[in-house]
Amino acid sequence: MRESRLMLIQYTTAVLAVALVAVHLLMQGIITPYSTAISFSTILSIYRSWFYAIFLEALLVVVLVHGFNGLRIILHEWKQTAPWSRWTDIGTLVAIVATVAYGTRTVILAIFGGVSG
Amino acid sequence: MSVGEEKAKNRRGLSGWLNPYHYNLERWAYVFQRVTGLGILAYVVGHLGDTSFFVGGPTGTGPSSSTWAFMSNLVENSFGHLILVLVVLILVFHGTNGIRLIVSELGLVLGKPGAIEYPYKAKSLGAVQKAAIGLAIALALVAMVWTYLILFGGTI
Repeated sequence: MRESRLMLIQYTTAVLAVALVAVHLLMQGIITPYSTAISFSTILSIYRSWFYAIFLEALLVVVLVHGFNGLRIILHEWKQTAPWSRWTDIGTLVAIVATVAYGTRTVILAIFGGVSG
Repeated sequence: MSVGEEKAKNRRGLSGWLNPYHYNLERWAYVFQRVTGLGILAYVVGHLGDTSFFVGGPTGTGPSSSTWAFMSNLVENSFGHLILVLVVLILVFHGTNGIRLIVSELGLVLGKPGAIEYPYKAKSLGAVQKAAIGLAIALALVAMVWTYLILFGGTI
């Protein structure tokens, strides 16, 4: 993918991340008291609401794409050789896929998994 | 001096990146944007790990109140809350300063280009840029204090 397109993705995810993280922070202590926000029953009800589940999945994807692409940009600034650029690009893609998959697994299990004590 | 030698002489690597000598405010903001970004990424990856304990951890199959209680006992303490306070500090700075960078990238607050004259002050670092960096620092500090009051005060 062209570097200009990757930078556009970086800026788009940045703007989206500011909005999504702001809402996430508001939900963790301002809209809902912190002790309530981290309780098992509250988190379960959040995951099992389609709106918030989609919100959390969007937050996951946006933040991880922005974060790992940002790391890739720093690594490209640090060293400029063709093999380094190629391997950091591949590493970034692997890191994004692996972390998004792990986070998505949490969301899916929280929605569809059986509740245990 | 050959091209290779010239390149090697000018390539200072990480020490050059972190050397604050002769930095202006914009350059400090550049360094902090990257340092805070790395810190936030490390936290997010860790946060993926701790939230997975809501569904029983890496080998879990669904929401489990016992593994969530285990993780809560591990992170819901003064040290864990101090980490959260610092995360909010760097998160708000990174977000606000990032918006400044995007606006600058669009060329909106860079000012008009002009001739390079002594004492060679950066034309791009005008009053708006300085105010935006100041706002990022101020908002980060306010958010940090607010988070501290929520987590340690327990009254908000």
